[in-house]
Amino acid sequence: MKIEVVQSVLKADRDTARRTRARLDAAGVVAFNVMSAPGSGKTSLLERTIPALGPDRRSAVLVGDLQTTRDAERLGRSGAQVVQINTGRGCHLSAEQVAEGLDRLDVSALSFVFIENVGNMVCPAGRDLGEHLRVVLLSIPEGDDKVAKYPTLFQPADVILLTKTDLLGVLDYDAGRVRDDLSRINTAAPLIETSVKTGQGMAEWLTWLAARRPGPEP
Amino acid sequence: MSFATDLIRQVLRVAEAHGAVGVDEVGITIGEMQLIVPEALSTAFEIVARDTVAEGATLTIREEPLEACCRACGRRFAAAIDNYQCPDCGGADVEIVAGRDVVLDSVVCRTPERAQPS
Repeated sequence: MKIEVVQSVLKADRDTARRTRARLDAAGVVAFNVMSAPGSGKTSLLERTIPALGPDRRSAVLVGDLQTTRDAERLGRSGAQVVQINTGRGCHLSAEQVAEGLDRLDVSALSFVFIENVGNMVCPAGRDLGEHLRVVLLSIPEGDDKVAKYPTLFQPADVILLTKTDLLGVLDYDAGRVRDDLSRINTAAPLIETSVKTGQGMAEWLTWLAARRPGPEP
Repeated sequence: MSFATDLIRQVLRVAEAHGAVGVDEVGITIGEMQLIVPEALSTAFEIVARDTVAEGATLTIREEPLEACCRACGRRFAAAIDNYQCPDCGGADVEIVAGRDVVLDSVVCRTPERAQPS
């Protein structure tokens, strides 16, 4: 007996993501799925971003890692509510883990939720976690060829941060190559060159973020 | 592996709803953008299907190519995994309209009457 099903295998995941978005919408919270390779500076960026957003835009972080609570400990010092999600063998966060993580936060007190995904340029790309916007980081030491190598991560990005630009003079790096690759993969997302060390681009990044949830200037 | 887990869950739900005692074939469509290696998914499926009614079922995989719709001019076109540039306006601001999902199309199963013909 042949049974026609025609249903997405990702349906349960997507339904959970949709419920998460509705719940955040009801609370007036904007959620960002922050993705990159390991070591691109996701945690460092958030450590600088959260205090700079000021008391009018309070943030929480759901941080995914295979192991350890190191990122949560770092982010906790920035004054944000933080929930560490250990994925064990999982190479990306799931919508269900994010929904459970949100249960542990006081969402009503928040403006933003940053979901720091597991460092990985492939697996997180195809998964909807219930976020509103996707933030993708690419650090200078990773090389200028990564946009073309991992297009599925960059294609759905809403903003792309080129991080650790303080290393531009140290390493051979052609930022023009990144822009050229993006001309074929994603022309909608702004590309912001940042360095948490020198502060370059942080104002532009904070302005972009603040515009996602209008209020006083950060 | 997580796709295989999600897939077997769904297959078993369908099989159970129809009172199946065995599953012979599972038909799925995988979108190009999911970057799934069919052989790897087949192997993973074989593993997760063990000790279930779907043990030994053949996984038939159809691959769905990427299709994009330009947000600027509305043109629909066949995109490539590394190129989403609109052939009309040259922008790369697109909505992916096909090739990003994993769909369970069909399940061929054995029901008790079939398994034990009188």
